[in-house]
Amino acid sequence: MLVSRRYYLFILFFSLLLLAGCEKDSPVRQNRIVIGIPSDVTTLNPLFAFSVDEGTITELLYMSLINFKWDEDKGDISPEPMLAKSWEWSDDSSSITFNLRDDVYWSDGVKFSAYDVVFSFDVYSDPEVNSRLFETFTDFFTDNKNHIDIEKTFEVIDSFNVKINFLPNSTPTLPEIIFHLIPKHVFENIPRNEIETAEENFKPVTNGPFILESWERNQTIRLKANKNSFLYDSETVDELIFKIVPDYNSRLTQLKRGEIDLAELIKPEDINELKKYEHLKTDAQQGREYDYIGWNNINPEVYSSTGEFHPHKLFGSANVRKALTHAINRQEILEEYLSGNGRLAVGPVSPIFKEIFNNDIQPYEYDLNKARSLLNSEGWIDIDNDGILEKDNIEFRFTLYITSGNPLRSNASTVIKNNLRQVGVDVTIEQIETAVLIDNMYKRNMDAWMIGWYVPIPVDLKMSWYSDLEKTPYNFAGYRNKQADKILDELSTEKNSERINFLFKELQKIIHEDEPVTFLYWIDNIVVYNSKIENININPLGAVHHCWQWKVRNND
Amino acid sequence: MSKTSKLLIKRIISSLFITFLIITFVFFLIRISPGDPSQKFVSPSLSPGLAEQVKDNLKLNEPLHLQYFGFLKSALQGDLGISYNYRRDVVSVIMDYLPFTILFIGVSFVIQICVSIFLAVKAVKKVNGILDKTLSSLTLFFYAAPVFVTGIFLLLIFSEMLNLFPSSGLKSYDFENLNFFEKIIDYANHLILPVITLSLAEVALFYKYLRDNLEDVYNKLFVLNLKAAGVSAKTILYRHVIPNAINPLITIAGIELGIMLGGTLIIEVVFGLPGMGRLTIDAILSRDYPLVIGCSLTAAVLIIAANLAADIIKVKFDKRLLTGSLE
Repeated sequence: MLVSRRYYLFILFFSLLLLAGCEKDSPVRQNRIVIGIPSDVTTLNPLFAFSVDEGTITELLYMSLINFKWDEDKGDISPEPMLAKSWEWSDDSSSITFNLRDDVYWSDGVKFSAYDVVFSFDVYSDPEVNSRLFETFTDFFTDNKNHIDIEKTFEVIDSFNVKINFLPNSTPTLPEIIFHLIPKHVFENIPRNEIETAEENFKPVTNGPFILESWERNQTIRLKANKNSFLYDSETVDELIFKIVPDYNSRLTQLKRGEIDLAELIKPEDINELKKYEHLKTDAQQGREYDYIGWNNINPEVYSSTGEFHPHKLFGSANVRKALTHAINRQEILEEYLSGNGRLAVGPVSPIFKEIFNNDIQPYEYDLNKARSLLNSEGWIDIDNDGILEKDNIEFRFTLYITSGNPLRSNASTVIKNNLRQVGVDVTIEQIETAVLIDNMYKRNMDAWMIGWYVPIPVDLKMSWYSDLEKTPYNFAGYRNKQADKILDELSTEKNSERINFLFKELQKIIHEDEPVTFLYWIDNIVVYNSKIENININPLGAVHHCWQWKVRNND
Repeated sequence: MSKTSKLLIKRIISSLFITFLIITFVFFLIRISPGDPSQKFVSPSLSPGLAEQVKDNLKLNEPLHLQYFGFLKSALQGDLGISYNYRRDVVSVIMDYLPFTILFIGVSFVIQICVSIFLAVKAVKKVNGILDKTLSSLTLFFYAAPVFVTGIFLLLIFSEMLNLFPSSGLKSYDFENLNFFEKIIDYANHLILPVITLSLAEVALFYKYLRDNLEDVYNKLFVLNLKAAGVSAKTILYRHVIPNAINPLITIAGIELGIMLGGTLIIEVVFGLPGMGRLTIDAILSRDYPLVIGCSLTAAVLIIAANLAADIIKVKFDKRLLTGSLE
């Protein structure tokens, strides 16, 4: 008896297993698109959307006054109406008036109005909130903590017309005042320093083209089309799922199997394999991210003890830095490890910004002789014939710090080490955790490091290349050039676009001459997606940007 | 008071002390290690002042000992602080991940124990027989194979080639529309591969421990005596041999259970599962101090609890332990 019962159980267990195995995915809803992302977001509140994916998802939930499109011809963003039907600058551009749509409702039924606009500016600029726009409202009337002065700044003409006044002689631009607005009625009663942790962030009240259906931690974020939105179109995608797939190879497998429909940042070496699948399409978007080798231009010991600027004993001279760039075979790295999916960088402006990019600058070519002669001209000579250059009894040796867990940088660093060895420079490669590398960049205590950086839209170079290191801690290399400062100052007040383009080009020339860091290459963002997604436009603003216009082709 | 409960109280007090030491250690270790939580605010589109402001708000510029006493004070009231990343109470963040981990590990653990006992008993029935020899090399193989290799291998065969199981995640997109029975099937469907992956290595480990002990006990004189007295083979096995051989397995199972409950990072990453392992490692990499402490505390408590449970179960099998080494 006992035996037979055990066998029944056994059979039951295995039939369950089999049943589970036979269970196929239920019929997929036609208008559903699944996007694979590597890690979960931490917030869906646009105030705190610091990461790329957080930005992507919050901009589908919340709307801004104006939306930006990528203008391929100009290589710049161009505005289109969104919550604002129209807008008008005053003649001296000291104020702008927005005429808002009156048919927009928050997801809890409350009507969107000009008061939400004013409230959003107030909260974003409030130093208590720690929003991502903290301290960035430079063209506004603010108190000494950069909190916008509401009285002086806003004139609410009626519920759907609002005027914003700027500081006299400031140069406000649309991108500076466009961000995703939040509902006043939800957040107004929460103390400002508690907004960050408020429960309301997890049950978002939104007005965008999509609304949040569910958010399962580290699994999926599901959005469904907002039928009340003026952007709603019954023909377009009606469910968007962001699926968190931490393992890169799993993302590839799921693309192939159709479990996910789109993934970004695909490695170049996988493209050929993916191209074998008929249902997949590949698109490489020229990037605004570059890798560079940072050379510390200033002597870190002297700077940290006295605050004075002395040239770095190895990298203090522009000729040495140029020589190092000449000695590095960037083209080889680009072809070998990025399969050509990138472009040699000549400076901090990406070629995608067609109007301001300086086309006349030629990249420093790979030329060992030129590198040697530049080094010799700076007094670096191999006196004792040990293969390493010397000057004033110092040998040309240093440690190049790179972030761990990035195969491209680790492969590139090996090429760089071998390249530099050929001109008599001895490099030790050390991999450290990103958090530690960034910490050291701030402390300016490394001689050389390799990391990625990107250009924000709109392009702002002052943050990274201005001489005043107290005000611009992102100038990690300690680059100092008075001419460059002058241009950067002028750029922050200039209004004429011709002049702006000219200044940017001049600035690139100056930076190229100084080569404060070795700009390596711009890295393309390779996007692979299912061909059932139609009307997709992959551009520098992101693959998912404008996805409410996607259509899903019916395969049956 | 019975001896068991006395023992229990003693163990709980010492466990509390150990937990306290662990969180103190983690508190200082994570804070003195280089890097800090404001790293994610380093970006050309953010104000450089933001990182400083955030550090100030999180009181990271205060002297370490003040931060520590502040932490202890609130920890004693059950408040582990707010996770920097998730902007929520650490306890509630952990509660999002812990139930899954407990379920996943629990199911897998039961399978591990049952399968390893079953196999070990079968194997020692004929020492050095074909089954014994095969299992010996197989278990060595699975014990030595890294989890991610087994995981990816299973994925390749059962998911990519045979298309039997989904390759990642915990449930289907249409989960909410399923009925209760279908929901269970859906979970099972998603969890079969990870459970097998996790179990293979652990079964191998448990099997090794148990098999050798069973053989030892079988060779003891009292077994011969029982056989001579005409006791049935089944009674000898279940009443006498297994209880005498199982103690080392319980010890090692207690330790392993605790470790697994702390997170099975590799399996979670390979199969895209929302467990404690990924939560912990993300917290460490982004220097989310309160969450790191919360995760360490959870892991410590689980490991200690699992060991305590193992000790209690051992006493059930062998009352001599009450008067012997445990006191």
